[in-house]
Amino acid sequence: MQPDFAELNRFLLDCPPFDQLSQEQRQWAAGQIKAVYLNEHNVDELFRAHSPALYIVRSGGFDLLTPDGALIERLESHDLFGFPSLLTGRGVVNKLEVIEDGIVYILSADVFDQLRQHSRAFEHYFIRAHEQRLLSQQGQRAAPANAYGDSLQRLVSEVVTRTPIGLASTATIQEAAQCMRDEKISSVLVVDDERLVGILTDRDLRNRVVAQGLDYGIHVNAVMTQAPATIRGQQTLLDALTLMTQENIHHLPVLDEQDRPMGMLTNTDLMRQQKSEPVMLISALNKAQSRQALVDEAQHIPDYMHSFALRMNDAAAVGRLLASLTDTMTRKLIDFYEREHGVAPAAYVWLAFGSQGREDQTLSSDQDNGLLLVNDLNEQQLAWFASLGDYVCEGLADCGVPKCPGNIMASNPDCRRTRAGWLERFTSWTESPTPKALMYCQIFFDSRNVQGNKRLYQAYREDVARLGQSEFFLGNLARLQANVQVPLGLFNRFRGTESGKDSDLVDIKRHGLALINDIVRLYSLHAGLTEPRTLARLHLLEASKLLNRKDNQALAEAWQFLTQLRLQHQLAVWGTEQPKNALDPDDLSTLSRRQLKSAFRILKDCQQGVSLKFGRTG
Amino acid sequence: MSIWLGLRRYWQRHRQLNQSWRAHRYIALDLETSGLDPKTDQVLAMGWVTIRPPVIDYRSAHYFVTQVNPELKQSPVVHGMVQRDFEAAEAPQMALAQLARELQGAVLICHHVQFDWQFLQRFAKQYQVKLQPLAKFDTLTFEAQRLHQQQHHIARGSLTLKACRQRFHLPDYAAHHAFSDAVACGELFLAQAYQYAGSADAPLKELLK
Repeated sequence: MQPDFAELNRFLLDCPPFDQLSQEQRQWAAGQIKAVYLNEHNVDELFRAHSPALYIVRSGGFDLLTPDGALIERLESHDLFGFPSLLTGRGVVNKLEVIEDGIVYILSADVFDQLRQHSRAFEHYFIRAHEQRLLSQQGQRAAPANAYGDSLQRLVSEVVTRTPIGLASTATIQEAAQCMRDEKISSVLVVDDERLVGILTDRDLRNRVVAQGLDYGIHVNAVMTQAPATIRGQQTLLDALTLMTQENIHHLPVLDEQDRPMGMLTNTDLMRQQKSEPVMLISALNKAQSRQALVDEAQHIPDYMHSFALRMNDAAAVGRLLASLTDTMTRKLIDFYEREHGVAPAAYVWLAFGSQGREDQTLSSDQDNGLLLVNDLNEQQLAWFASLGDYVCEGLADCGVPKCPGNIMASNPDCRRTRAGWLERFTSWTESPTPKALMYCQIFFDSRNVQGNKRLYQAYREDVARLGQSEFFLGNLARLQANVQVPLGLFNRFRGTESGKDSDLVDIKRHGLALINDIVRLYSLHAGLTEPRTLARLHLLEASKLLNRKDNQALAEAWQFLTQLRLQHQLAVWGTEQPKNALDPDDLSTLSRRQLKSAFRILKDCQQGVSLKFGRTG
Repeated sequence: MSIWLGLRRYWQRHRQLNQSWRAHRYIALDLETSGLDPKTDQVLAMGWVTIRPPVIDYRSAHYFVTQVNPELKQSPVVHGMVQRDFEAAEAPQMALAQLARELQGAVLICHHVQFDWQFLQRFAKQYQVKLQPLAKFDTLTFEAQRLHQQQHHIARGSLTLKACRQRFHLPDYAAHHAFSDAVACGELFLAQAYQYAGSADAPLKELLK
């Protein structure tokens, strides 16, 4: 009779990808293992006597070296090696050196192949590991146990079922109104040659036609909203919600992969996802009739976000959602202020910087905002905006978005500037970049228009992008990011980033996420991009000659992994005094630990790449 | 048995003991018993595994539950065995015959080999099976001698399988089970043997002293 290999089973369960095998498969594999007590007297025989094979370190420590003696990796308990030879069929050329005697399990090529054939997850793991793409493994494991996720994770295309109702841009306004009546819809797509050219809503008919006393016979293209914001069928309802909240719109045209109109998504469609906290939160915030009511509603955000985040597979979505909640609260506060003090005396833009700008906010992120004003405002008008800044920043603080310790807030006169005023500030940073100036302008380069004049913002943003292309400035930024230590030490072991009693902890924000943001910002400044979001920047950089596709993808995966890990960590330390961004790698699962190492290795490589490409000039 | 046959066997054994310890086959074994007295208590289960240094081969893993209706006495506390473990019991003759075959020419390894060997012999005798290992190696005695030579004071509890393994930085095993304890004992043997006789191609008899 065969024993149940309980001890070995327990170990394999904690050693991905063996945890992905079925109980029977794992049991079978355990019974095929050979264990070697590896030490200096027999290490040279290992590869000769047993290869190709998969090796699993059970105990001890070993250095894997290239044929000329360069260290590849220090192998410790739970580490796997030998699979590249299994996958490629090439002989083993690397050498092994014993640091501490220990036990290594050997799985023969036959057994390995059988497991590959019977478990896709097992095979995928090794293919990814071989391509050094372990990070793309995360999605499936992140799925929480309580499972259905959030209804907002459904695809837009699942909700938009009816065929799109569209009119040509040469149809008359009356025809449009009749069509909307017959189809019982509140908005209609304007489509020429299968291309979406605009959108017309109930509200447009009321505000732009009836109220203006226009003739019903004129063409819809005279009153429609041109080039409206759109979403793709393959995106999620949460993407749609975030977009509609940020753009402050209620109708969102949906396009297919070929940019053909698929239908219309309305806020009513979203409100039907009743069980979803984000929808309830956003609608509650929007319904608030006073500052006090808004502040009261905002107190629910942490609890709602907590239970929402637990159900989400996509950690980046949580950051986007928090940013759009902050956007919504900002707009409501501006609205309340205008009700008390009259409407804005001139065109302006409320700017979001930093994490709100990048849409990677967390519950502990503080405010980063400012105002962009037009030229030649008089004292009274300036006073109106100064008081707006105070009102909104105080209001946001009461809503739970802490004030910025660095005073990057619209309540600070230094952060209320005209286009020329802002440019002057950016110029001083780019031309005489002290470390502090460089740190600040990294926050300011990640901006978004929360409320206000679109054209004003666009002009400002393009000016700023031009300044950011200065080689001298980029060289300085490159040197700054090169000073950030990636927490991997000798032998690819984790190195703590903190001091004192927390010296084993690794700050995955400062030494991880922030570093990726910095690296990606450098490439996008160089390319003159105006997009603030890190993943969207990487997407736009896909055509870049400077950043190759592999590094681009690796950075995106590392960013997603670290965002997920930070979210999980923050949920775990929720309500405690423990650090929000620093964690102990020893507390992580074996897979997460391997992935974290892999992410840091990517960062290290990309950091060196940046230094080489930008660091020389200036 | 003729005197010639006895002499031949003696000579053969003598020759084998002079061969390198690494060229031999070993059987690491552990028993679960209903108590501590071989005269009155019974063997409940046994687990063993074959070792050809430096490899412990899990394909050779064996685990036999020996009694259908055992007197459990204090054993469930020690080994966590319960009644249903015995439902899959096999005929003891079969198990013992297989063990006897595998022990031919091999070295039996146990942690406190005298204890296991006494139980094993009585048990085998009951079923007319003769167990004849080439030699016996005791990881416990070896460790006691090793500590003694290093002039360590041998504290109470420092010679348990767990404590011995810790001194060689071998992993902690949670389960107490005849098979996992057999493996644990086998790993300890390899650690001891390589440390003692890894560099020199020492003959087996050196290791057995």
